[in-house]
Amino acid sequence: MEVTFWGVRGSIPAPGPETNRYGGNTSCISVRTGAGRLVIVDMGTGAVNLGRSLMNTEFGAGQGEASLLLSHTHWDHIQGFPFFSPIFVPGNHFNVYGAARSSSMLEGILEGQMNPHFSPIYTLKNLGASISILAVPVDDGKLRDLSSATRRRAPFILDGLLVRALPNPHGPTTSLAYRLQEDDRSLVYASDAGYPAEGPTEAMLSLYQDADILIHDCTYSPEDRAQRLSRGFSSYLEAVDAAVRARVKHLVMFHYDQDYADDFVDELQARCRAELDARGGKDIKLTAAAEGLTLPV
Amino acid sequence: MKIRFWGVRGSYPVPGPTTNRYGGNTSCVEVRPKNGPHIIIDAGTGLRRLGKELMQRDAFGEGRGSSHVLISHTHWDHIQGLPFFAPLYQSGNQLFVYARQRDDTHLRAVFATQSEDPYFPVPFNATKADVAFRELVEGARFSLGPVQVSCTRLNHPWIAMAYRLDCDGASVVYATDTAPFTDILLENEFIKTPPRLGDPNPEHAAKLHAMRDGLVDLCRGADLVIYDSQFTAEEYRQRPHWGHSTPDDAIAICNAAGAKNLVLFHYSPERSDDAQDVIVDEVRKKVEGTGLGIIAAQEQLELTVGDD
Repeated sequence: MEVTFWGVRGSIPAPGPETNRYGGNTSCISVRTGAGRLVIVDMGTGAVNLGRSLMNTEFGAGQGEASLLLSHTHWDHIQGFPFFSPIFVPGNHFNVYGAARSSSMLEGILEGQMNPHFSPIYTLKNLGASISILAVPVDDGKLRDLSSATRRRAPFILDGLLVRALPNPHGPTTSLAYRLQEDDRSLVYASDAGYPAEGPTEAMLSLYQDADILIHDCTYSPEDRAQRLSRGFSSYLEAVDAAVRARVKHLVMFHYDQDYADDFVDELQARCRAELDARGGKDIKLTAAAEGLTLPV
Repeated sequence: MKIRFWGVRGSYPVPGPTTNRYGGNTSCVEVRPKNGPHIIIDAGTGLRRLGKELMQRDAFGEGRGSSHVLISHTHWDHIQGLPFFAPLYQSGNQLFVYARQRDDTHLRAVFATQSEDPYFPVPFNATKADVAFRELVEGARFSLGPVQVSCTRLNHPWIAMAYRLDCDGASVVYATDTAPFTDILLENEFIKTPPRLGDPNPEHAAKLHAMRDGLVDLCRGADLVIYDSQFTAEEYRQRPHWGHSTPDDAIAICNAAGAKNLVLFHYSPERSDDAQDVIVDEVRKKVEGTGLGIIAAQEQLELTVGDD
């Protein structure tokens, strides 16, 4: 499988020349499985450009099908949804998975985004594509086949991927981290992770364990994180700690603060590399996610 | 008074090198009268940078700031910057938010929804500034100190408001989002498939006519008319029910009203800077010799009208 980054920014899109290199769009990645299936994780404004590129494929002809995994429903993780062109094409089908106590509650949250006070779409029913919205409650360790399960609990098999999901603390709420595994390859997406002082739980570390790629929240510099602990984000220190303890092969920095210019992200990347080396992670590859970047897993 | 543009884009913010010159932030305009209160029109993502600057520039950083925020309508691209407006999180600051009254929901509830769990981590009632909401009815007129404000409705899904500010011997109109007044009446009903253009039923035609008259009156003799210029003619033909105009529609209203300058605004998110340059050149050629000035809004552009 391979992963492509469409939006790498946190909180709110940050247009301007100072974000041209890493990109100013909010969180969205796409995963193309070895078997050719498409899985999208989060739907920030990066989803606009992803949607545009998909219109040249079967999605433009109304013959596309993809799964959308949502880490949580803060705006920067769903605000691209109403502008994702393939959802307006009849014939396309999307399975949307996200954190909520029930599927109808998740549907209500996404329905609220389309409310006529806020959006000219008025309701999800006006989207052309068909959409199934399914809650992903907490991971209970028992594997199910989604096609037969009535209650969807992670882990599950999705588009040929083994999917695990566990919530990380994120300020007043939680954010799901996803592990996507195809054969012996694994990709982890852990954005908006606001760990307590002791770091991620053992269960979460087992979800990260030995991942070929760990895409990890790196919203803040350590200095800014210390000032804004209650917001529930990581700096590269927390990302390095998670990567080293879980023995991942490749750490990808993600979800930069909206006020961080490209040059500062360069600096954070250099500091992150030094921290990895100092913490016994010399063999861990490091990449700072940028819009348009594709990495093989 | 001074008018400064912080966000000029429609629909959604568009970061990236192809929008660096005009800017990728959604709608937000700052008005600083020479002798009057601070005014902000619309609260798209451009509001975030304005908020950062206000915390440095004026009394806002010390919790003595006050601003009047006029909202055209509450579609995302006109309000999504408000939760990121730094003065909101400084106690002592005051915000007065104005928008059209709705039948079903109080304005405060509409804004509170944007900031509530599970969409945003800081609920609106936890912000530190004092925020008061004032709901406007059709044709409302009111004063903000020496600034006279008037408004009229526009042709847009769920209805948007245009505002006129008179102060310092000058006048500025902000008119977005609106479709032209010839084809489809856009109100509360969802229109899935657009009807044939140029043929509204008589009842709708009468309402559209009255709406256009109201807008022309609002723009009468204005020094600046900041106007929805989202579409090309071809884009309008494809999506007339989206509620946006072309520069030609803007020119027609300005000419009917004897306005002095048209400010092109609320550009399509799909428009690159180079493509927008071509459109601006065409518009300038079209009005050459007519006396109507053309200004293309871009982020950080500051205009001065009247006493300064």
